[in-house]
Amino acid sequence: MTIATSAGGAIASPAGAQDADGALTISARGVSKRYQSFAALHPLDLDIRRGEVFCLMGPNGSGKSTFIRILAGYLAPSSGTVSICGYDIVTDGLSARRLIGYVPERVPLYNFMRVEEFLRFAARLRGVEERNVSREVTRVVELLALGEVVRKPIRTLSRGFRQRVALAQALVHDPEILVLDEPTNGLDPRQIMETRSLIRTLAGRHTVLMTSHILSEVEKTAHRVGLLLNGKLLGVRGISEIDDLEAWFLSVT
Amino acid sequence: MRVLGVLLRKELQATFTSPIGFTIIAVFLLVMGYTFSLTLIATRVANLNYIFHQIYVLSILLVPAATMRAFAEERATDTLELLLTSPIQETSIVVAKFLATFTLILGMIVGSAVYAVILGVYGDPDWGPIYSGYLALVLLAAFLVSIGIFMSSLTENQVVAAALTLGIALMLWYADSVSGMLPSPFDSLALNLSLIGHFHPLAIGSVFLSDIGYFVTLTLLALFLTIRRLKAR
Repeated sequence: MTIATSAGGAIASPAGAQDADGALTISARGVSKRYQSFAALHPLDLDIRRGEVFCLMGPNGSGKSTFIRILAGYLAPSSGTVSICGYDIVTDGLSARRLIGYVPERVPLYNFMRVEEFLRFAARLRGVEERNVSREVTRVVELLALGEVVRKPIRTLSRGFRQRVALAQALVHDPEILVLDEPTNGLDPRQIMETRSLIRTLAGRHTVLMTSHILSEVEKTAHRVGLLLNGKLLGVRGISEIDDLEAWFLSVT
Repeated sequence: MRVLGVLLRKELQATFTSPIGFTIIAVFLLVMGYTFSLTLIATRVANLNYIFHQIYVLSILLVPAATMRAFAEERATDTLELLLTSPIQETSIVVAKFLATFTLILGMIVGSAVYAVILGVYGDPDWGPIYSGYLALVLLAAFLVSIGIFMSSLTENQVVAAALTLGIALMLWYADSVSGMLPSPFDSLALNLSLIGHFHPLAIGSVFLSDIGYFVTLTLLALFLTIRRLKAR
């Protein structure tokens, strides 16, 4: 089979890319991260299904960002394997990273570029074919409502627009998986609602893995939730299975 | 190659929209113009030997300022995370950064060719040492840029990156001076590592493959270590 993107790329999927019903996009097995004697992440297993919004929840310093960075290919795990649609994130990193759109917690943008210029740069970097670059940039500009700032220098943008530009660069190659680290961090209430709405819109077409430490956000956005504490995955539940997220959170932690 | 082109264009844009790039060029041209005029008036000799050594010193002082932001700034602003999670090879990122800063320094060196033209118009210089001198400057620039980029990959503090680059360049500059104080075989090792020891022969017209090999080897080694540093994450 092939994994195709509307951005013009199509890469062959390796054998065993998915589970029996063809629904897995992310599969982590025994993934851990150590910094000398400190274990930032204890070995954990996690499967994330195609099209779902999965939220990793936990307090600050619980290992959420470490896990997300391993999935995005920024950090190498100390042990274990991560499969992205069948591609190992370490041994077949280029193929795996091609399928991921990633927004780190601290929005990384080049302030010397204009918005459109930055999105074109991101599209080319992610392998969007040259003839499709303009089309894909226009698509994400419309999706993220960036029309009014598209020609502005990034350094002049507000926090909300910077977050939207970061989301746009992650979506510009139409990735299979969207990885968002604290996507509403630092936004005002209106921007938070817009971002949540956008994430719900993206579900189905994209698999979304996000982190949050805000319970109400998790309830309103995620299909399933995993709870991390001190680098240990304490449990995974469907959001519909949890009557009271706060009570579950307190009982587990 | 397409990705390398995309990254190089971005690096050149970052280099030439930064005040650091223009400040470095301005300082270089100001100091060299001043030095060239004084040297020519004082010696009335049609060669660039003295100028090449001036550029050598100035390069050691200015290149760290040009390379310090290469990775340190990307690390501090988290844009390195953006690059390293994109489907591109670390080699492309390093080569693009090297070529962009090398282009800036090369532009300064090419700008200094006006002194050779002036000598050619008003005098009768021996062109051999001038050609080999420019070869020495290009090799020196490549070496210093690669060292600077490697140091920048080790820290997110630009000042620390610049200081480390300057420190290494100065230590290599004076390596032959300390060789007499070292026991064998470290004395010959220090002598062979000497930066000025490999630059000076080229600058005065004596072209040895060993000197060219010194610069090429250390440049490639520094770039290789930078790539390794990016991969080890």
